[in-house]
Amino acid sequence: MSAPLDLDIRKRVQGIEVMPAIPSVLLPLLRLVRTPAEEVNMDDIVSLVSYDNTIAAQCLRVAASPLFASAEPPKTVSRAVMVLGLKRVESILLTCCMGRALPVRKWVIDPVAFWRHSLGCALVCRKFCEKLESMDGEKAYTAGLLHDIGLLVNCVVFPDEFTAALNLAKEEQIPLDVAERTSMGFTHCESGQVLAAQWNLSAELIQVIAHHHAVYQATQAQSLVAIVHLCDLLCRMRNLGYGYYERMKVDMVGDPAWDIIMKEHHELELVDLAQFTFELDGAMGEIADLVSTILSTAAA
Amino acid sequence: MSTVTQPPSSLSPAPPNAPIDPIFRQIRDLVYKVSGIYQLEDKLYLLADGCNRRIKQLNVRSPREYWDHLTAHPSRDGEIRHLLNELTIGETCLFRSQAQIDALRKVILPELMADKTKQVVKRLRFWSAGCSTGEEAYTLAITALEEMEVRLKGWNVEIIATDLNDRSIEAGKSGIYRDYALRNTNEFYKRKYFVPAEGTKLQVRPEVKKLVTFKRLNLADDAQMLFMKGMDLICCCNVLIYFDGPSKSKVIGHFFSDLNPGGYFFLGISESLMRLNDQFHLVHFPGAIGYWKPTPKSDKP
Repeated sequence: MSAPLDLDIRKRVQGIEVMPAIPSVLLPLLRLVRTPAEEVNMDDIVSLVSYDNTIAAQCLRVAASPLFASAEPPKTVSRAVMVLGLKRVESILLTCCMGRALPVRKWVIDPVAFWRHSLGCALVCRKFCEKLESMDGEKAYTAGLLHDIGLLVNCVVFPDEFTAALNLAKEEQIPLDVAERTSMGFTHCESGQVLAAQWNLSAELIQVIAHHHAVYQATQAQSLVAIVHLCDLLCRMRNLGYGYYERMKVDMVGDPAWDIIMKEHHELELVDLAQFTFELDGAMGEIADLVSTILSTAAA
Repeated sequence: MSTVTQPPSSLSPAPPNAPIDPIFRQIRDLVYKVSGIYQLEDKLYLLADGCNRRIKQLNVRSPREYWDHLTAHPSRDGEIRHLLNELTIGETCLFRSQAQIDALRKVILPELMADKTKQVVKRLRFWSAGCSTGEEAYTLAITALEEMEVRLKGWNVEIIATDLNDRSIEAGKSGIYRDYALRNTNEFYKRKYFVPAEGTKLQVRPEVKKLVTFKRLNLADDAQMLFMKGMDLICCCNVLIYFDGPSKSKVIGHFFSDLNPGGYFFLGISESLMRLNDQFHLVHFPGAIGYWKPTPKSDKP
């Protein structure tokens, strides 16, 4: 990213006033995410979830989704927190907060497609981590959920340029970041990085947001960036993209990201990628349900 | 590209709206675990039908008791196999997986053609292994004929369709299909590539048949398998689920050597080569998965 462009994006992103619908709950939530588990007070979480009735209702509905795999749908917020555990609650809260990130009128991309992709990617990242030893699935969930937040920035700050990029991508059937680079001069990775810094997201999340299309440029958390990159690709090849197929063939095992993960997680070679893909297909209906839950309560 | 789990036509399925014993969902999950076959909620009655046929044959009193046969009984492995047979009675349809056809037309054919540009004889060989009654083979033939009007003009396309079952082969040769087998075939193709046969059935036209050679072949027969050389594409969908691990690996090893370098291999919708073969290279197409045989010059597709 060139310096003047960086300055331009930064200036325009910092100027946004419509964006912060999220942070009233998101900021304390992100503080909580970074607190060591043993120091977190359950009551704080319950009051955070209960802070906003809509969020609380949404959390209960999302927590009842089979994708969050609770034995029995929780009826109260405190029960939900108990049943789901801290990490899960954070993921759910974050999901709900993100659902309110953008006023409906601001969407340039199809919000259903955006949420299907972000949630799909989040869930696939978490599932992928279940196959690996010592990889925090909830952290990967958050990374998957937030990886494309730059698209939200582009919707709000650069609506006309971004519309042109989207049209170009669909017409030419090319990856969205390539179309953005061609018609805007920068991509959602860069605008997302600026917003992520402004929101004070963790360094690891910023790496994911900035480099999920160019894993080797990540200077930290390369495995996490690589996981998000691969899960992002997988979602796009299984009809969880932005309404068109930008690539006709993808070789995930041959992707440099695969080697990056393999260096730290040799158990990756035991992962049945085909079966993993079918599991994702099996979760499509549930992802669609979750998206409609989030969008219906976000619009309320 | 082919097999779908359906009841045999002689038995009438239970109406889809009838209430279904929840135990069938457990059986559905078990079947999915062992075979990768998954019955969606609206098709669960088909699984229930298959189980009910076994329940009758075994003289078992209830679906719950049948569940014990599948999970706790000493002969549970054999019973699961019986149930799988019930669930996969060879009712298939043409154009079963549009995603695989798209991958063939948009990626695989252009690649194969590019690989063969220097060859004098422009020839492609496809193999439908475990072809049942020929639906997959004719799907490949129709797809090839469509392409032969444009970029495959002047190419020779040969489709070999093999199955163990003589009756299936004969039915395949006749090329006559009921509405159900043609449910995914669009009206344009029906008019272009089929002629009316008895009742509402349709028969594939001679020019489609001309591309397909049917023959009986046992995938477990090494001698026969060694003769199937020079393939550019092999489809073997929902057939290997009936093989145990070592036989599966052996069959897949044959497929690998029967394919030309740069050729592709398609399995059924829920099947995987994991732990069966590490020579094939897994690739994702939109909505489909395929396996690629690396070329000597490159090990990346």
